[in-house]
This record gives sequence, C-alpha cells and structure tokens, in this order.
Amino acid sequence: MARPLLGIAMLALLLFSGAAQAEGLLIIANPNLIVATPVPLSQIAAIYLLRVTSWPDGSHIVPVNREAGSRAREEFTRRVLQEDNAGLAIYWNEMHFQGKMPPLVQESEEAMIAFIRNVPGSIGYINGSAPRLDVKVIAYVP
Amino acid sequence: MAGFLAFAAAGASADDYQLGHGLDLGPLNIAGYSDLVARFPSKQQKSIDLDDLSLFVTGHFNRLFNPFVEAELTNLSLVRWGGVADHDRGDGDFLLERLYNDSYLTDSTTLRLGKMLSPVGEWNEIHAAPLVLSAVRPAVTFRNFSEYTTGASVRFADPYSQVPDFQLYFQPTGEFSERPRDITVHRYRSVAGAHVSLPLGLLDKFGVSFQQSKDRLGVDQTLFGGDFHYTLGKLTLQGEATYSDISNNGIRTARDIEWGLYSALSYAVTDNWSIYGWYEGFADRTSPSTAHDVLFGIAYRPQPAMVLRLEYLQNIGGRPVNPTGLTASWAVLF
Repeated sequence: MARPLLGIAMLALLLFSGAAQAEGLLIIANPNLIVATPVPLSQIAAIYLLRVTSWPDGSHIVPVNREAGSRAREEFTRRVLQEDNAGLAIYWNEMHFQGKMPPLVQESEEAMIAFIRNVPGSIGYINGSAPRLDVKVIAYVP
Repeated sequence: MAGFLAFAAAGASADDYQLGHGLDLGPLNIAGYSDLVARFPSKQQKSIDLDDLSLFVTGHFNRLFNPFVEAELTNLSLVRWGGVADHDRGDGDFLLERLYNDSYLTDSTTLRLGKMLSPVGEWNEIHAAPLVLSAVRPAVTFRNFSEYTTGASVRFADPYSQVPDFQLYFQPTGEFSERPRDITVHRYRSVAGAHVSLPLGLLDKFGVSFQQSKDRLGVDQTLFGGDFHYTLGKLTLQGEATYSDISNNGIRTARDIEWGLYSALSYAVTDNWSIYGWYEGFADRTSPSTAHDVLFGIAYRPQPAMVLRLEYLQNIGGRPVNPTGLTASWAVLF
C-alpha cells in the first residue's frame, strides 16, 4: 500500500515542479524493484554502459533503450550517457561480443512501459510529460 | 522462473531480432557473425573463403550464473584458383571458441571459469571481423601468445572507471577443445597472465599485458605487451606491441627474443566511409628476418553491424607473415 502512495507523491512532485513542465526524462524501473531513489545519473549511465549489471538485491539489470532516432533516445544519450550514438553503437557491439548484453530496444513509449512493468529488473526511460503509476520512477532528468 | 517467463513473453511482443543485436529469448541472446573474404595474394593461390561463421549464446540469469558459449565454422575455402595450392588452408574447421560462466562477485569483480579469450592487447578480445579495423589481422595480435585460456580469471572493472580495469587469468593444463594444427601456430599447455587497462573514454584506453606460458614442446615464453586506442575527432589511433623472451629448452628456434608491433590510423570520411592504414613489424621466433608490412584500406559501413572492406598489404621487408596482395571482405554481426 505504501509503495503506490509513494509513487503517486513522487509523480505529483515531479508534475507540479517547474522542471517537470519542461519535458524532462523519467527514468523508470519495474515496480517491484527495491532501490533507494533517486538513483544517481552516474549509476544509470554505468548501467547502460554495462559496467553495473546487478541491482542491490542481486537481481539482474535489464536496460532498455528506445529505438535509434527517437527523441527520448536522443535526449537520454545526450543528457545521461553523454556519448555520441556512433561510439555507443561500436561500444555495445564490442561488449556484446564479450558476453554482455547491450540494452534491448522498445520502439514506442507504450511498448517501453509495458516491458518495464512486466520484466523484473528492467530499467528504461520515457519523456517527462507521460508519467505512469504502474512503473517505478527512480530518477528525473530535467 | 517467473522472471524468465515474463522476460520471454515481454520480449516476444517487441522486436525479437535485430541485426547486430541477435535474437532475445528471455535471459538468453543468440547472435553471431560472418566474414566472407576474397584474397588475391600476388604470388599465391587466390581464394574466396568463409573465414568465420560464428554463433554465440549469452545468458544472464543471476549474479552467479551467466553462461556464454561461442562455436564457429572457420577456414572454409569456397573457391580457389591460380598459384600454388596451400594444403594447410581451406578445408573448414568447426571450433568451440569459448565456453565459460561469469559470476559477478561484486559490482566490480567478476569470476570467469571455462574457456575464454586471453586479454593480451585489445584485438584478441574483440577479434570478430565486423568489430576490428581491417580484414587482415596484424600478426602481433594473435601469433605470438596464447589467444585462449582454459581455466579461471578474475576481472576487476570499476563501474565508474575511476581506477584502471585489471584481469588475472590462469590455465593450469592444456586448451579445452584445442584448435587443429592448420589454423594455429603454437599450442600452449600452461598459461598465466594479467592485463591492466586504463579507460580514457568510451572506446579509448591504454593497456599493458603480461603472459607467462609453456607450449606443448616445452618452450617457455614470457611476454610483455602494450596497447592503445585513442580518438581525436574523426581520427583514431590504435596499436599493439609485444616483446617475448623465449626459453627454448632444447627446441631449435631462429631467435630467443620475439617481438612485434603494429600502429594504425583511421579516418572517418563520413558516417559510413572510412580509410585506414597500418604498419607492422614482426620478428617471429621461427624466422631470422623481421617482417615489415604496410596496409591501406577503405571501409564502408552501411550500418554499425556490417562492414565491407577493400585493402592492400605490401610486404616491405623480411619474410612475410601476411602475404602481399589485395583483400576484400564482407563482415556482418547478426
């Protein structure tokens, strides 16, 4: 009971703050994830660069990207990962060959939310104008 | 199990397969790469070869159980013509390249058990044709050390890259599923080593390597190496060097010191086109002369997972390790 209320409070805080009105990014995770929020953006970047692979409870992290070319992907790449797309593509291919799975891709916001809601350990992002109650918001990028 | 089923169900509703990413089946991913190569050496037989058709499966289940397996068909000549036949090449070999499990002991420390690639330099660990600079592989990136380790390794990688990554590895006896003689130069019995890598950026790094090994003939080898990868805008510099002391133990070799280095430049002309070149000097233990080679090439990447290359290598001194001639290749990470 406490967890949904906490989520609602957090979303309300985000929605009514000036920052949320500026179309930021919500970093979202599976609702069953137990993690202290907000998760630092440096940790989120480390997750997407495959240098952190487990949540504090030991469960495997499943990072999810939007498709290349989407606005959310561009924003996330620029503001959180702070890398260029070409370099990331090479990097993820190299990591894949070395046994680390690159982020999965979901090609719409609805698909992203459905995946995050259903898959334990998953983490993704959506534009700040569309917060949802059925996923856990773990960070906000103004 | 619930997580597996949820992952599989959710994954199946999205794109199941993406070029370069492979096929996701819950916590499993199935991917691979192919490399089709046309070789036109100036004084030898010409050929069109399937250099590699590789399949690898990655599994991520929990902190302790993360298996990986890679098998490949390699060295298969499809067409050969002209020149003198090289009977050591072209019949095709089926290989178990890697078979290991990763256990994440902490966020920064991984224990790997099984058959793995030895971390000597950068090229050996990412040697898939679509990922490396050129179709022709510099000899120093594979020829004079144990490319594989069957045993254990411990890898430390700081999640925030504040301190250098390092890896220690150990093979007590023999290579599991040893590669046949026609595609390997030295066969190693015991191997131990370390690699330290200082991350300078997403792809940029500076590394040093050490490897102590004994081959099946009883030759002891102590290797020291260095590697770098550095990006300056559209220009990328990279290279590797090794220096090995060979203790022959009664085995006749041409020299007691084996060394090699390659240094490469590549320039991204556009997002898809690049030009590149490298120089290599290689003093092989079996040859009294030092080979000197230069290579120039052009690459077209219609997407990150696919590359077409055309390159020319010229031997400019010593007994060649890689033959002078033209090479064209088409490599796909699928």
